Amino acid sequence: MPARESAIGAVFETLGFALFLREEPGGLKLAGEAPAWLKEIWPGAAQSGAMLEVSELSPFLENFLIDAGECWTAGGTSRVKSGPWIEGTDLELEATALSVNGQAVLLIEQLGKDFETRKAVLQKARETVIAYQRLNTEMQKKEILLHCIAEDMTGALGNVITSLRLIELEHDPLKTRRLLELAMLATQEQQNIIHRVLDVFADELESLYGRAGKNQADAEVHDVMQRALGAVQSEYQEKRVRLTASGFGTLRVAVDAGHLERVFVNLLENALHATPAGGEVKVRIEAEADTVLLQFDDGGAEIHEEVSEKLFAKFDCSEARPQATALRLHFCRIAIENCNGEIGHTSLGTAGNRFWVRLPGFHPAQ
Amino acid sequence: MIQKKICMIGTSGVGKTSLVARFVSSIFSDKYLTTVGVKIDKKVLTVDGTNVTLVLWDLAGDDDFQRLQLSYLRGTAGYILVADGTRQITLDQLLDIQARVMEAVGPVPFVLALNKADLQTQWEIGKERIEQLTAQGWHILLTSAKTGAGVEEAFSDLSRMLLAPKP
Ligand SMILES: Nc1nc2c(ncn2[C@@H]2O[C@H](COP(=O)(O)OP(=O)(O)OP(=O)(O)O)[C@@H](O)[C@H]2O)c(=O)[nH]1
Ligand SMILES: [Mg+2]
Repeated sequence: MPARESAIGAVFETLGFALFLREEPGGLKLAGEAPAWLKEIWPGAAQSGAMLEVSELSPFLENFLIDAGECWTAGGTSRVKSGPWIEGTDLELEATALSVNGQAVLLIEQLGKDFETRKAVLQKARETVIAYQRLNTEMQKKEILLHCIAEDMTGALGNVITSLRLIELEHDPLKTRRLLELAMLATQEQQNIIHRVLDVFADELESLYGRAGKNQADAEVHDVMQRALGAVQSEYQEKRVRLTASGFGTLRVAVDAGHLERVFVNLLENALHATPAGGEVKVRIEAEADTVLLQFDDGGAEIHEEVSEKLFAKFDCSEARPQATALRLHFCRIAIENCNGEIGHTSLGTAGNRFWVRLPGFHPAQ
Repeated sequence: MIQKKICMIGTSGVGKTSLVARFVSSIFSDKYLTTVGVKIDKKVLTVDGTNVTLVLWDLAGDDDFQRLQLSYLRGTAGYILVADGTRQITLDQLLDIQARVMEAVGPVPFVLALNKADLQTQWEIGKERIEQLTAQGWHILLTSAKTGAGVEEAFSDLSRMLLAPKP
């Protein structure tokens, strides 16, 4: 009998199982040899005849013994598994409680290869679910974006159509001229929107596939600013918002001039939209050691700094600004960050908001 | 010494394991290694001059592949609900899970950690949603296992709730 018992014990040891038998009263006592892992983590319980002091050693087993107790009481062929657990060390263990001929048994095994496979499958499955969720939201956002773009374009197109209809009925040449100007503005607005959309997608493509030969881009900040100021001038006049620019000297930056102009126009439009009629927008250009700093101060409602970061997301969930504005700022951020610049927002309290851009200076290759 | 069991609860990938790793060992990893089963850690915390040993039960995320095993919750003094602020759906699912947990363990204290607060540009959970849950009496913290922001507070706020005399 003892020979048979020790043979069984040796099998368990080889398989990496620790076999405990419940004794009345007292607790769980190791039967047979202790597997290596048991000696390593619970040396006290690995001595032959020693008790497994669960309350001291393992909160997990202490909890599991309640389920095990129910199983042992039920007797018969019932068995219950603890599920995998890790505690104190890196060892992954799993316990099983069962009854054998009325004897309550607790088996603890160190999980091996099979478990690794199970984990790998779960890992893949969960990563896939998460990727699917992200894709889903991305698609929803794209739908909203498309909707916003369509709304923006329809708005501008509506203005063109109305102007044209009125021109048809109008005989006064002065009024006709005014209507033509309005129609022109609206078509320009529409063109801007289209450019913005194209830019965003072009930049997204570039960030995926890289851009060739952008390193030698070079622009003179004041020139570009003058062009941008010219582009938004009529919109500012229309809304009666004063626009002042300060800062002098030749400042060259390592940025593509066309891109930079569109960034400036976007920021100027952003400032105009935020500023109430009759207000003021101030632009300041400043040379720093190795960079150029531009500041756009508007007279809009204060945007708190906690939401600053979100302003430049393609979808501003903070509702601090309408969606079309978010797209505008998102484009600016992509364009500026692509040329190693920085863009940000600082609250000016009740006075308004400052959007700033820091651009790397241009150093021609030696 | 006072010892309290705390369970980490939420769907997969929200950052339960990362929050515990940040809190217990001040470490963070970008790599996602899913938890299968339970991982238990301990940490001693001093709350208003009282030392308390927290026994942290980091549970596998409740999802279609693995349901939350309610027997693991037995004896828990409180729990931390974790949602991923960049995936709104994890908060929706968490509300279902919370109802199941509440049924199993009764009205023990809990806090809600809206994790990954460092990923502001991907954030999806609106202020109104937070206000609405706060109005229901939920204690909510924005946490980041990556930067550590709000992590210590989440555990110490919950511990304070556990140590407070019962009304
Ligand atoms: N940026 C960022 N990433 C985080 C943060 N917390 C967790 N992560 C990442 O999110 C992923 C999942 O984190 P885990 O801590 O494993 O998530 P879990 O809730 O334990 O997941 P399951 O065990 O599968 O239920 C990992 O890639 C982490 O690096 C955080 O605060 N910020
Ligand atoms: Mg985990």
